[in-house]
This record gives sequence, structure tokens and C-alpha cells, in this order.
Amino acid sequence: MKEGGDSGLERLSSGVTGLDIILGGGFLAGGLYIIQGQPGTGKTTFGNQICFNHVAGGGQALYVTLLAEYHARMMQHLSIMSFFDISKIPDQLTYFNCLQVLHDEGLKGLLALLRREITTRGASILVLDGIVSARRAAEDEEAFNQFVHELQAIAIATDCTMFLLTSSRGTQVTPEHTMVDGIIEFTDQLVGWSAESSLQVIKFRGSASLRGRHAFKITGKGIVVHPRIEALLARPSRPDVGGTGRVSSGLDQLDVMLGGGLPTSSTTMIMGPSGTGKTTLGLQFLARCSEAEPGLLFGFYETPARLDAKIAGVCRPLRGLIDQGAVEVIWQPPTEDLLDAYGERLLQAVQRRKVKKLFIDGLGAFRQASGIEPNRIGNFLTALMNEMRVLGVTTVYTLEVPDIMGPSIRTPIGDLSSLAENLVLLRFAELGARLRRLISVLKVRDSQFDGSLHEYVTSDQGLVIEATADSAERIMVGLANLREDEQDGITQPREGRDLL
Amino acid sequence: MTGIVLVVDDEFGIAELIDAVLTDEGHRVLTAINGRQGLAMMAKERPDLVFLDYMMPVMDGAEVLSAMAGDPSVAKVPVVLMSSMPETTVAERCSGYTAFMRKPFKIAQVVTLTVKLLNRDGPDGQGAL
Repeated sequence: MKEGGDSGLERLSSGVTGLDIILGGGFLAGGLYIIQGQPGTGKTTFGNQICFNHVAGGGQALYVTLLAEYHARMMQHLSIMSFFDISKIPDQLTYFNCLQVLHDEGLKGLLALLRREITTRGASILVLDGIVSARRAAEDEEAFNQFVHELQAIAIATDCTMFLLTSSRGTQVTPEHTMVDGIIEFTDQLVGWSAESSLQVIKFRGSASLRGRHAFKITGKGIVVHPRIEALLARPSRPDVGGTGRVSSGLDQLDVMLGGGLPTSSTTMIMGPSGTGKTTLGLQFLARCSEAEPGLLFGFYETPARLDAKIAGVCRPLRGLIDQGAVEVIWQPPTEDLLDAYGERLLQAVQRRKVKKLFIDGLGAFRQASGIEPNRIGNFLTALMNEMRVLGVTTVYTLEVPDIMGPSIRTPIGDLSSLAENLVLLRFAELGARLRRLISVLKVRDSQFDGSLHEYVTSDQGLVIEATADSAERIMVGLANLREDEQDGITQPREGRDLL
Repeated sequence: MTGIVLVVDDEFGIAELIDAVLTDEGHRVLTAINGRQGLAMMAKERPDLVFLDYMMPVMDGAEVLSAMAGDPSVAKVPVVLMSSMPETTVAERCSGYTAFMRKPFKIAQVVTLTVKLLNRDGPDGQGAL
């Protein structure tokens, strides 16, 4: 499957989900590439996936092993992959083992055989698995360099893209690294008890590539790569034209406190401890969606069943919107996937339905998924939210913040101001034996707002916020100002004490 | 009955395994890494049985079977065709083999097939398998 690229060089799709994006469109046709990584990192799956994808598009491919690995066994392992199609073997995809040729006839003999087979079969992809054997067979470094050089000449002359699979050599740079058109390194790294796979394009001639590490998984579909979101969206996909106007938060009183609603295309973080009603507020935000302004609920912690129950209990208008398709619900457990996989899924859902109102319930899940690099979360979210902004999406997300002591708010994800343009805080306050809820707006992008605390209650209508700050003020100063008729239901008052 | 067995396979680990197993059984075993080399060996010394891989560089199993069919000196030598693919796939592309052995196989299959094919009734082992 060949395609023209921006540079005019013909591209060959890898067929590996996500990789072509990282490579800026695929491999260069007729190029020579090293795929390196420790045993078990997925090189053989990768090599086969590329071959099967190529033959599925009508091409011819050769898979040549220089290892004591048996093709029958390899095929048994591959047969569970969806890309594996035995009907393509041997007419379009042929497997050879050339280890003995290498032993008997050396590198010259191997080159001659490869050239003949590529030409005879019209192969436009060659995977050479176990290049370490060729290196061992070489008399010296010069002989091996000559082999790589001649292989490259064959690749160019036959328009056959070649992949040399080899065990990782770490940071050591060998002469063949300087000769080939590209190098991709596969790595496995332990994170606590689990392992994370990633790849890095170390070198890529002919065009820019997304630098740095990118996580991947080996699934039933083969290797699925998730380009690092902050690399993919280093620059938003389009200019930020600066949204004007306001979008309802879903609560009229909160809109008043915000100075007229949420600024269009802005990001809003709803913070607060568990049980304050953050999810309910998000549901109410989505309940103002329409077919013209579709919404998306991207959740982690509330299962679909629990969400349904919550919607029935506190935000019934949303049910109809979901049923009509104006609001989509995407739920996944926070332990299921990679950070970039979540980001990718979110982006795709937003783009697919041209979402205008996005509610991410449980920002902490992103941090949990950042695994190996928890410090990535700031850049990840900044890139993601910048993209949402240019796509005209007004985003609301929740973050559980357990520690709220007076004016100090400690969050698990660091600097808040870079992650949200608007901040809304929900908190509990004890008044006697009764738990009260308070809401306040801490920040609104380029706008005046009502920064005072307001008391709110949860009801079958969702959150209902007091129109004035009076009751919140009385709560904040304790019972000193409470009139007798307001003390109904309050037991064991602790007078004069700051109850927060 | 023992005999001369030729094993033609580019996966040399497999050729060497069959070699070792059948040598232990008292046969004389020759090996080749592709079809062309295999035919050259047959020209020098007529085997009693051939284990032939289907997918090989230089000359594959189908070409070898075709060449053997055209050469009266080896046309009747029984051939066990080996492949990682199902027999139906292979059978669409070649004919003239006596038995099929799908890879990966068990050692017992090699021994059983060898005994059966070398001890068949009739000249050149062409009796019923």
C-alpha cells in the first residue's frame, strides 16, 4: 500500500495503527530500516504485521529468518492475530530460512539469494529477521558494512522496502545505524508489577517524525501504537480563533456566579472531595446539549449502570438526550489502558461527532494511567485541552481533591492554572451535626465573576444553589450569627468556631 | 527395511532433526537446503524416500515435484511433502507427493511415515499407503 508523501517520496503504509502518524505518513518505499529491541518486545509480530498488511493490499512480501526459529511455530503464534491470513501464503507472502545459506555461502551467497528472490517474486517488502546472524557471519566490521551497503543498493534498485530485525544494542551506535534510512527501537519497561511497551523512532530520513517514546500494546489486531499526545498535538491542529460568548454551565445560578456562564471553548475544572456532587454538576452541564451542540461524557469511575441510576436520580433531562444521540457516553475503567490510548479515544470521539460540550469525569484517571511518567500529565492535559479549545469544545472536568484546608488546595496533578481556565470548587462544611455543601468560583478566563461562597443542596433536580451568599456566610462564621429559627435540626452547636 | 532418505528443507534445524531421528533408525540420510540442491543430490544418488519442504528459496517443493515427475529415474520415489500450511492450500499448487506432513510435526510421525513408505508393496514403494 503505497502513497505519495509531502516530500514527493513514495510512502509505504506500515499497517500498524498509529505508527504511520508517528512516521509522518509511513516508511519510504525502497528504504532500509532497522527495527531493534530486546527479545520479546514485539519485533517479529511487527515484521509479520507489516508483511500481511502489505499483501492484503495486493503486494508481495518475503519474510526471511536468519535464526533457528521455526516458521510453523511462528505461524501458530501469529494465527491468533486478526491480520494473519494464511491464504496469502505462499503466493504473496513467502517465508524462508536462510541461516544455512549464510553458513554455507556467507554474506555474498545470502545477498545473491535475496536479490534473486526479490526480483523473481516482485517482492516490495523484505523482512530479514535475525540480522545478528549476518553480523556474526561477517569476517569483520568492514564486511558487514559492505553487506548492508549492498542490501541498500538492492532495496533502491528493486523498490523493495527492507526491515532488518535485530536485538537491541542499547545506546551503542554501529556503522549500520549510520547507513540505514531509519531506526525504530522497541522497549519493555517494568512499572511496579506491570510492564509498558514503547517504541522510539531514533532516526528517520526523508521527513520529520514524532520524536520521543510512544506507548504501544500487542493486541489481537497486532501492534497498536498510541502516538504521545503532547507530541502529536505539540501544535494544535488549527489556529485558536478565540471563542467568544458564553455557554451555560447547566445551573442558572452558577452561570450568574460565573459572570454569564462558561466562556465558549474554555476548560473548567470542578474540584472537590468525593460526594460533593462533581459528577452531578457535569451531568447538568451536558443536559443543555442539543443535536446542534452535541455532548460527550468521557468517564472512568462511574460505571454505565451507576451513571444510568445517577441520571435517573438527579438529571433526568439528560436521559432523553443520550437516547436521541445528542450526548454520547464513553466509559472505560481507569485501569484498562494507556494514557495516550485514552487521549486518542477522546480525540477521535470529539472529532467524530463534532462535540461541542465535553465532560470528563475523573481527571485523576489520566494521572493513574500515566504510569511510568507521572510528570507527563501536565503537558498531556495542556496539549489535549489546547486542541479542544481550537476545536471549539467547551470542556468541563472533575478532579477529586481531598485536601481543602482554608485557602490552600493541594491537587494530585500540580499547577491548576495551566490546566483550566475556570476553576469551580465544591466543598463540605460541618455545621453542628449537619454537613453543608458550598460552591465557589475561583477563576474565570478574562472575566469578572462572583467569588463568594454559595450554599447548595443536591436534589432530584441536581445541584440547587442558593441565590445569595448569605447562608454560606453564616456557615463560615459558625453559629454566632445564626438566628434561633435557623437552628432547626442542628444539634450540639459549636459556637464561634470556624467550621471548615 | 532401511534405505536412503533425502531431506530437503531450508529450515535446517528441521532437516537435522529428521536426519538424527532416521539415522538412529538405521537409515542413511542426506540433506539439502533447497530444491535445486536436492535434485542435484538425487542425480548423484537415487533416494528411497524424500522428505520435501514446500516453501523454500531458489527452488520450492512444487518445482521439485514437477522435476521429479519428468525424470524417470526418480519419478516413482515416494515423497513426503512438508509445510506449515494446510494440505488443501499446498494441494492447490502442486501434485505428485505421496504423503503430507504438516509442520510442526512429531518425531513419531516421521518414523511411522518412513516405515510405511519404505515397506510398501510393489516396485519403488508405490503400493497403497
